[in-house]
Amino acid sequence: MNLAATGMAAAVAIAVLTALLAVVVRTRTSVVGVGTALTGVAAVVAGAAALAGGSFSVVLPGVLPLSGVSLTLDPLGGLFVAVTGGVAVAAGIYSMSYADTPDLRARGVRVALPLFVVAMVLVPAAANVGTLLVCWELMALTSLVLVVAEHRRGPQVASAGRWYAVMTHLGFVSVLIGLMLFVAHTGDDSFAAMREAGRHLSPAVAGVVFVATLVGFASKAGIVPLHAWLPRAHPEAPSHVSALMSAAMVNLGVYGLVRVGVDLLGGGAAWWWLLVLALGAVSAVYGILQAAMSSDLKRLLGQSTTENMGLVLIGVGAAGLFASSGDRALAALALTAALVHVVGHAAFKTVLFLAAGSVLHATGSRDLDALGGLRPVMPVTTAAFGVGALAASALPPGTAFVSEWLLLQALIHGLPAGGVAAAIAMPVAVAAVALTAGLAVATFVKAFGVGFLAKPRSEAVAGAHESPFTMLAAMGIAAVVCVVLALWPAGILPAVQAAAGGVAVSGDVTLRLNQATGALSPLLLTLGLVAAVAVVAAVMRAAVARRVRREARLWDCGGGPMSARMEYTATSFAEPLQRVFDDVVQPELDVDVSHHEESRYLVQAVEYRRKVPDRIERRLYQPVLSVITAWGRAGRGLAPGSVHRYLGYGFYAVCGVLLLLAVTR
Amino acid sequence: MLSLWRKIRRTGRVAESAPPLPDGERPERAVVLGGSVQIRHVDAGSCNGCEVEIGSAFGPVYDGERYGARLVASPRHADALLVTGVVTRNMAEPLRRTFDAVPAPKLVVAVGDCARDCGVFAGAYGVAGAVRDIVPVDVEIPGCPPRPEAIVEGLRKLTGR
Repeated sequence: MNLAATGMAAAVAIAVLTALLAVVVRTRTSVVGVGTALTGVAAVVAGAAALAGGSFSVVLPGVLPLSGVSLTLDPLGGLFVAVTGGVAVAAGIYSMSYADTPDLRARGVRVALPLFVVAMVLVPAAANVGTLLVCWELMALTSLVLVVAEHRRGPQVASAGRWYAVMTHLGFVSVLIGLMLFVAHTGDDSFAAMREAGRHLSPAVAGVVFVATLVGFASKAGIVPLHAWLPRAHPEAPSHVSALMSAAMVNLGVYGLVRVGVDLLGGGAAWWWLLVLALGAVSAVYGILQAAMSSDLKRLLGQSTTENMGLVLIGVGAAGLFASSGDRALAALALTAALVHVVGHAAFKTVLFLAAGSVLHATGSRDLDALGGLRPVMPVTTAAFGVGALAASALPPGTAFVSEWLLLQALIHGLPAGGVAAAIAMPVAVAAVALTAGLAVATFVKAFGVGFLAKPRSEAVAGAHESPFTMLAAMGIAAVVCVVLALWPAGILPAVQAAAGGVAVSGDVTLRLNQATGALSPLLLTLGLVAAVAVVAAVMRAAVARRVRREARLWDCGGGPMSARMEYTATSFAEPLQRVFDDVVQPELDVDVSHHEESRYLVQAVEYRRKVPDRIERRLYQPVLSVITAWGRAGRGLAPGSVHRYLGYGFYAVCGVLLLLAVTR
Repeated sequence: MLSLWRKIRRTGRVAESAPPLPDGERPERAVVLGGSVQIRHVDAGSCNGCEVEIGSAFGPVYDGERYGARLVASPRHADALLVTGVVTRNMAEPLRRTFDAVPAPKLVVAVGDCARDCGVFAGAYGVAGAVRDIVPVDVEIPGCPPRPEAIVEGLRKLTGR
């Protein structure tokens, strides 16, 4: 039993034990938190061991009926296990004091947390379809319990839960159909057998399998147009659960896509990957555009998750496209970029969601237009969010910069490779990545500047206080990981390469990546930046030292003092962007001017409302929902409440089935 | 665009030729500015008659900018304040703050009779005083309202050009 297997066993054992403890005795919230964090630690160990080459394989035939449980941890799975574990460590520690509220102390919620983590850890380790689907469903159910944990807060929580439940189960059904079709053609549901048979599937069957699984995995990753649940569920879930979902769970959609598309089906046709690339590009741009317009802090972060998963999918799609045209080295580079982005996104999204939770905990508000002025009262949270915001913007001392730079490298080098399709797709993808990066900077400047700096905009904020130690510690750990990933990406590159190389085998991957890392040294870049700032500051000081200095009051047009009402709000900050993208987002504006009774020339009040609806959602979901509603209304006539009638339905249905069997057999 | 160019060509130069440099002493602090004076205009309670004349003093006919005077948007950018009107109670404090906000060396020009000695508003209940009661004044330009030539002449005392 090697380290990976031991770690995996420990993770499962600790999680199940914690869940049992939570069921049997009235444990404290901190016990569940510690149990979750320890599960995370064990998962990180298992994942790291698998990445270092210590893979394992175990078959437990008796645990599940028919197929049995079969687990294998290879480098690709190991990466996702380690990332999930890392997020769980921070979320577990954070929940020790954050989850100490009446709603989150409920037994079901305490049981669900460790089970959710262990389900996410087991998904990448599943080695047959049965195990994968069971863990996938366990993950969906436990996360659903956690999403609706605070249902007493208002009806919007239940609505978010419904959206999430329906979308995630439709996705599950889609994955189920795809994999069942696959298994029907291979005859064996173990991944090893499917990998062998996947190469010999007819293109039509392989295409159907791929598209069906893509739909399911994309809905889990929050990819447009299946993203509708994401900006609903993430804000309403408790913050540590948001962090787990946004930083760990959505990654598993990417894992599923890579596992099935690249590994099991062995690449496939170019159009598959062009589809993935297109979905990724649309998600990235649309997600960040919605985030830029959003003034709800957690909703903004949720929409940014769609954006980041879109970027990852651009990488995966490009990798598949390169692989289908035979350029293995570029494929590995693109896949590496995507996986580095998965790791970086997990780190910074954890920090951001935990910091947002800390703000929510202290002020009870996640409306950016009501926040502001948090720096003096919540210095640690502000610093953590600042690190996260910097990491999320693709600027040099940030985590996302490294992966987006690698991604752009892969896309630009991809121009000569491939045919006409690649020649059109690659420049468009480069433009999408660039536009996304720019909008992300604006979004996070808005979130940090409006949310944390300047003057407090409401009473609740003025009375805010810093969060308890465990919450700060969790944010601190995640922030430190962000900084390390930003400054020393070479530290994780070999591991990610191992994961990428495991599926896109190539000899000169190492050479390529060494070139890439050689050309980019974020540490030097950051040192240079710091040195430049220091030099400029020193020159400025020296220049003004000899002049006479005078203290003057801040220029406020002489009217002063300035009030919080004069500050930029999230809405006004986003207004220019909204104007530029008017045709895309189509905001709904409403200005009401009411006049005095005596004179039409005197204005009594001006009311301004702005709403940025999700256009894709409106065009795509509303018709379907209204059809279903109409259908339901029509069906109501069939259920008048008469027991005789229901018995009659049953009788005729059984007769119908018997007749059908009699005719067909 | 073409019609604009045609208009420019047809109109030609409308600025009046520069009158000789006015005599009278030049404020000492204005010498340091070297002939370029950035001006922030403050309406301390004017009837807007002076504003109209300032507008034409910087228009194409009198063209105050050719003597080195220029209107700017913030006292932080300014060397001099151009104050019009009688100083009302509401504007006394903002005028003091605006004066404080101008970097030294700084000058104040009082434009119009109201700014010099309260004009017809002297003794009214809302009046805090003339400009020199609130901030030190370097140049005064009489008139109700002063003609654009007079304003340009007053500003040329600062620029010395």
